[in-house]
Amino acid sequence: MGTRRSRIGTLLALGVAFVVAACGGGGGSTVPTQTGPLSLGVIAPFTGPAAQFGKLLSAPCVAATDLINQAGGIMSHQISCVSIDDTGDAADAVPNVTRAIATTSNFDMAIGLESNTAATTVPLVNGAKIPFFTTNGLTQFNKNTLQYYYRMTPGDDANGAAFADWAVKQGFKNVAIVFQNNIGSEGNLPGLTSAMPKLGGKIAIQLTIPADSASYSAEVARVIQTKPDALIWSADPQTTATFMSNYKQLNNGVLPTMVTATDSLTPDFFKAVTKVVGINYVTNNIFLVGSYFDQTTPAFNTYKAALLANSKTHDIAPVLSTVGPPAGAYDGINIMALAMIMAKTTVGSAYNADILKVVQPSAGAVVVGNYADGMKALAAGKTIQYVGVLGQPIFDASHNSGGQFSASKFNADGSATQVGTMPGPEVLQLLG
Amino acid sequence: MELLIEAIGFGLAAGAVIALGAVGFSLQFGISNILNITYGSLMTLAAYIGLFLIDRGVNPWATLAIAGVIVGLVSVGFQRWLLAPLARRGTRPFAIVIVTVSAGVILQYVILAVAGPETQSYGDQGGQTFHLLGITLAASQVAIVVLAVVLMLALHLLLTQTTLGRAMRATSSNRILAQSCGIDTDRMSDVAWLLSGWLCGATGVALAITTAGFDFSIGQVFLIPMIAAAVLGGVGQPYGAMVGGLAVGLASELAAAYSNPAYREVVAFAILIAILLIRPRGLFGAAWATRRLMA
Repeated sequence: MGTRRSRIGTLLALGVAFVVAACGGGGGSTVPTQTGPLSLGVIAPFTGPAAQFGKLLSAPCVAATDLINQAGGIMSHQISCVSIDDTGDAADAVPNVTRAIATTSNFDMAIGLESNTAATTVPLVNGAKIPFFTTNGLTQFNKNTLQYYYRMTPGDDANGAAFADWAVKQGFKNVAIVFQNNIGSEGNLPGLTSAMPKLGGKIAIQLTIPADSASYSAEVARVIQTKPDALIWSADPQTTATFMSNYKQLNNGVLPTMVTATDSLTPDFFKAVTKVVGINYVTNNIFLVGSYFDQTTPAFNTYKAALLANSKTHDIAPVLSTVGPPAGAYDGINIMALAMIMAKTTVGSAYNADILKVVQPSAGAVVVGNYADGMKALAAGKTIQYVGVLGQPIFDASHNSGGQFSASKFNADGSATQVGTMPGPEVLQLLG
Repeated sequence: MELLIEAIGFGLAAGAVIALGAVGFSLQFGISNILNITYGSLMTLAAYIGLFLIDRGVNPWATLAIAGVIVGLVSVGFQRWLLAPLARRGTRPFAIVIVTVSAGVILQYVILAVAGPETQSYGDQGGQTFHLLGITLAASQVAIVVLAVVLMLALHLLLTQTTLGRAMRATSSNRILAQSCGIDTDRMSDVAWLLSGWLCGATGVALAITTAGFDFSIGQVFLIPMIAAAVLGGVGQPYGAMVGGLAVGLASELAAAYSNPAYREVVAFAILIAILLIRPRGLFGAAWATRRLMA
């Protein structure tokens, strides 16, 4: 009996010691630790019709992890990008993301989770306590209480309002709205239809079209009948090529100016549409509206140089570096990495609280625009404020940071040049 | 009224492409009794063969013929070395359908791996625009409509006026009896798969010309309306498939002209179901029952 009581006592003592250690007893704190390299999940479509997104969202991961690893890693942990195929389908994404969460070692941060699948992938990753910077624009996340969620690009409704703002600024007051019937495109509609009348504009016709039809001739005929000044457009490259080819054919070769999202600022869109309607139209008559960011800052130059330096991203660097959502993903990775150093841990549930501190303006804070500078400042015991490619993030209570808006035009090489800006408050007041 | 006439013209053009593919699909089924779902991926293969050739300066219409020949030969090989052995071993028809689905998926992903996920384009191949009786069509659309009509007539003549066609019909009707009459039924199968494969390949290129943009999923996307057209016309009935193709094309364009275009295919398929409820064997069902062309 004595031996048994002794064993129970030992077990109890061990148990108490474990609980005290786990809870940080005695007023101190115990930081959870990990060993080995860290995994950065890129949750995006890598197969299926939206597979192009996987390639585009992997690029900022490659750029950021190259720079982080060259700087010595995060507290000596090297970091690598792990492609998690959400297939672009909300239902198919669930098993793939669930499996990745369960089997990926040191899965401590994520990017991607774009609009097609965000409804299912965001709750999964948030539930796994993995901080993530999403590129989705779904309005359902404009207000949320998800602890590990961060977004540095505007909601789709704000983008829609920016389309209207830019179209009217260019003098287009009678517009045709044609959107593909997917969640990303249609998310722009409420903001657009709300903003257009407020700006004194008129919606001549509004059509939602299916993707990848053999012909859009009937839809084009309906649009032409309304004689629009401009076409406010959102669709994939294949749908755009078919529609514009039909438009050219039915309107004696004359095409209206197009206002579309910077989502279309991809080599795929540029190449497919240029082949059908010609380079003159593409470079002169397409406006791409989306997040604004200054493309002359040191932070931008570091980002672009990193994209150019890696053979995997070199070819798409000139175009990709000018697109908001990938730049937001790059900034997000740097912010998470610096938060890990501030929290002295790589575990998501532990460093998450430091993410907002990384971007918090404060007196005496050292402003940094890349990971290496931030790491050095933190090592020197200084307070930092990260101001990255997208500028100063200002997160609201739902961890959304919308920023400003801009319009760009394609250059002949497929890259883009900003041709105008729209302040965030100006656009947001057009909503509702 | 103006829009109605225009939409009919667009429907004829869209229907001609669907009809081309549906006739090949129906011909294949009529001869071999195999529902070949790989047909969609073979159309995709043809579209990419076309891209390879057009990028090297080959005329689009020559490309259509060449891609047709290549896909025709691939189809013969597929039937002779995969499907026929399975059938000889007593594999159930449903299992063979699954094999064709699997082969189609494999082929689609091989194309994806080789060509990538990017949208491809032959460029603007529309050519001059013609206006006639309120209908506006590009030269390429007119050419596809003419091609479809000529091919249908040629197929009709082949099946009804030649020894080869009669032998094919005999094989379709009763393979054992045809063999006992001295018909080389394996050869007849090869010819049928070559012809239908050619139509499949030609359709893939015609689709890519019509859509102006395509990716590795083009064939799978358009397989559904083609099967619908074949079913609507009466499975195994090449004429029926042609009429079915035109009906699906017209229904789709009229739906896009007069309803929410997002549901253009929904409306087309609702019409298909309604017709099948009235005529369960398809538009040519009665003829099929009593005087089956392929029989």
